[in-house]
Amino acid sequence: VIPFHHFDEVIKVMTVETTTESEPFILMELAGTTYGVRSRFVQQMEMVEKITRVPNAARAVEGVVLARGQVIPAVSLRLRFHLEKIPYDLRTRMVVVKKDTRVIGLIVDTAREFLKIPTAAIEPPPETISGLSGKYLEGIATLNGRMILVLNLDEVIDLDTEIAEVAPDA
Amino acid sequence: VPHPEHENSHEFFAQFFEDYYAESDEHLTLVRRGLLILEEKFRDPSAAHALLDEFFRSFHTLKGISGMVGLTEAEQLSHQMESYLRLLRQENAPLDKRSIEILMTGTAKLEQVIAARRNEQEIPSIDAVVTSLTEITAESDSPVVAPSEDDQTDEKKAETEELQVWRFVFTPSAALSDQGINVNQVRTWLQEAGEIVRATPVVKQRGEISFEFIVTTAAGESVFRNWAQANLTYERVPGELEVASASIAKVEEPDSPLTASAATMLGSTGVVRVDLERLDDLMRMIGDLVTSRGNLEDTLKALRRSMPTEEWRKLQEISSQMHKQLRDLRDGLIRVRLVRIGEIFERMKFVVRDLARESGKQIKLEISGEQVEIDKFLVERMMDPLLHLVRNAISHGLETPAERRAQNKLPEGRLTLAAATVGDTISIEIADDGRGIDIENVRATALSKGLIDPGATFDKENLLEVLCSPGFSTRLEADRESGRGIGMDVVMRAIKELGGKLSLDTEKNSGTRFAIELPLTLVIAEALIATAGGQQFAIPQSVVNEVLEVDPASVKILENNEIISYRGGVLPLARLAALFNLGRKPDGQLHVFVTGSGTNALGIVVDKILGQREIVVRGIGDPLVQVPGIAGATDVGDEHVVLLLEIGGLRQLAHDAKSTAHV
Repeated sequence: VIPFHHFDEVIKVMTVETTTESEPFILMELAGTTYGVRSRFVQQMEMVEKITRVPNAARAVEGVVLARGQVIPAVSLRLRFHLEKIPYDLRTRMVVVKKDTRVIGLIVDTAREFLKIPTAAIEPPPETISGLSGKYLEGIATLNGRMILVLNLDEVIDLDTEIAEVAPDA
Repeated sequence: VPHPEHENSHEFFAQFFEDYYAESDEHLTLVRRGLLILEEKFRDPSAAHALLDEFFRSFHTLKGISGMVGLTEAEQLSHQMESYLRLLRQENAPLDKRSIEILMTGTAKLEQVIAARRNEQEIPSIDAVVTSLTEITAESDSPVVAPSEDDQTDEKKAETEELQVWRFVFTPSAALSDQGINVNQVRTWLQEAGEIVRATPVVKQRGEISFEFIVTTAAGESVFRNWAQANLTYERVPGELEVASASIAKVEEPDSPLTASAATMLGSTGVVRVDLERLDDLMRMIGDLVTSRGNLEDTLKALRRSMPTEEWRKLQEISSQMHKQLRDLRDGLIRVRLVRIGEIFERMKFVVRDLARESGKQIKLEISGEQVEIDKFLVERMMDPLLHLVRNAISHGLETPAERRAQNKLPEGRLTLAAATVGDTISIEIADDGRGIDIENVRATALSKGLIDPGATFDKENLLEVLCSPGFSTRLEADRESGRGIGMDVVMRAIKELGGKLSLDTEKNSGTRFAIELPLTLVIAEALIATAGGQQFAIPQSVVNEVLEVDPASVKILENNEIISYRGGVLPLARLAALFNLGRKPDGQLHVFVTGSGTNALGIVVDKILGQREIVVRGIGDPLVQVPGIAGATDVGDEHVVLLLEIGGLRQLAHDAKSTAHV
């Protein structure tokens, strides 16, 4: 069953010219902050269940899960952003993103919203946000007084830095 | 599974495009293959005509489907190609080497356009190709503008006159989709009734989308009324409209259906396209069946005492039959995923031909093992790396005819593409008999880029490593052939992601040989299921020589080694939980599986061995979860992933653990 209420969002996928300069985002919550990821990179969202730990993998990698017949890594965004780890609950979601050939599950506190953000509303992150946190951000959008941090997916899933910190308690 | 509503529609379009890519790919493959044949046979009028008909049909379809997804560049280009092909078919333009060249250029450009759209890259400009096509078409256009009406019989003429142009608008909806009425269905109806000249997606005010089809057909409204439930609106397009007149000229199709000669030459009949995801779904369903049968078996065992023996036997027999049938079913499905590697090699022919021409080199391409079957998944991921290696071989490896003569070599360079299956792996070889890789040169470049230390030894062993390090690129970075696309580092990464190996052999003045070894990703294997540190692991049965139960008291400690006596010698032990940094379970009987033999034997200690079962091995593709000692994964019935151990990696881990302990 295909709900057709949201066709305007996907038209962009099809046609080059568009009337409004905006792009659909999936919003995710993490430690009280809202992050946005472009919905064209999002394959699906799932409840988190049955993660299989992968020995000696990077710290933020919770393990692997089966998503649509494919074994993919599940990455905790809390751990990725060096936030405190909290137990999973009913609100926890895994947002499965596809970037180029890679498919990765990002575990967030919750993700329920979908929003079109005008391109003009996205500003580059202020230079005062330095270090890692700045690197993960592509920009910051403010909409109706609400702040949304737009993720730079390439940086988020590039775990070279994390792989270097493998197995801290070995 | 909860998700926001938009996802389905998003998925719908993703699927819509996937279908487009698959269909266009199919046609382009056919055309490419046909062009190579045409190049050899263009002097044979009947073969040439059959092929041109085939191309015409493909570009006509490509035009239609490109329009439907709104990829205007591809639509335009296909349209120009179609027009040019019409001229060639009607012999209003000469069919010679030059025209084949033009067809090849156009095909390559169209391929680039579609690939760019697929990879979300900027669409390359088609202006140059379109201009040259338009010019050629214009040169010999005059006799064609009025399509050869004279030689049409009266009957045919009458038929043609009745053709009318209609504009249909279809607006998809969830309700219609439930009844199986979607864009593709409508397209099929319209194709049956007439000829779709153009299909375009139209966006309405409220963001609603519909599809507009311009159709020429002799059928009337009585036919269209059958489609009333599809919410399909239609209106006549007045004949004098530009689109209409243009389209009538466009609609004529080759009069015969696929001629026998073209069909045999292209060998494209009887093939069904299936989405890999659907096969994955099927595999999952079979997995569920296997689990249910397992439950049936368990229930039967429990019933044994309480049932009359004869009846019980009958049931038992049915159950074992099902077991066998399920296995056949699964094997069958796995075979469906396999495609001949010849599919990739076919494309390489095209590339080699182009590069040979561009570089002025003479190349003899030798292909072997086209019949080797490889998982479709692998095909898609190996395409770019192979392309790169082939380009490298031609632009860096093979010399010009003059250079070769000076070396006392045949002026024609040899390039070999070979595939073979060796046990559980597939090997693919790309070899040339060119100048070989200049190790000193590579060393100098690596030094200047700070990739190696001046004092470090540098030989054939680290050559590949340096070539594949990011940021290394021999010669001029702008080198036309190898500059585009990807680098050796990407080649290496792609192969590693598939759990494969790349090796290199090169000899000055006699050539270079790259060998890729890939595991068959989708294999069914017998495996032992064991637990360690509270987690389940699968161990390929093929590497296990023996399973032992060992009294902890019999374990001797020798420096950092735990050993037991075994078959008159000693067997070193490695604890899986320790290698993987998992929790250690309280001491009790040790469960050990023995791998390797003689001095190479190693006992791997697990907590418990649960049993043996058939597993479907899945590759672990993402570098984030590629860790030493793990070769892949499998899913057991309840969608839970179990990791598959890789003994080579475990040995390395065990070795490393000992050496760090020594320090």
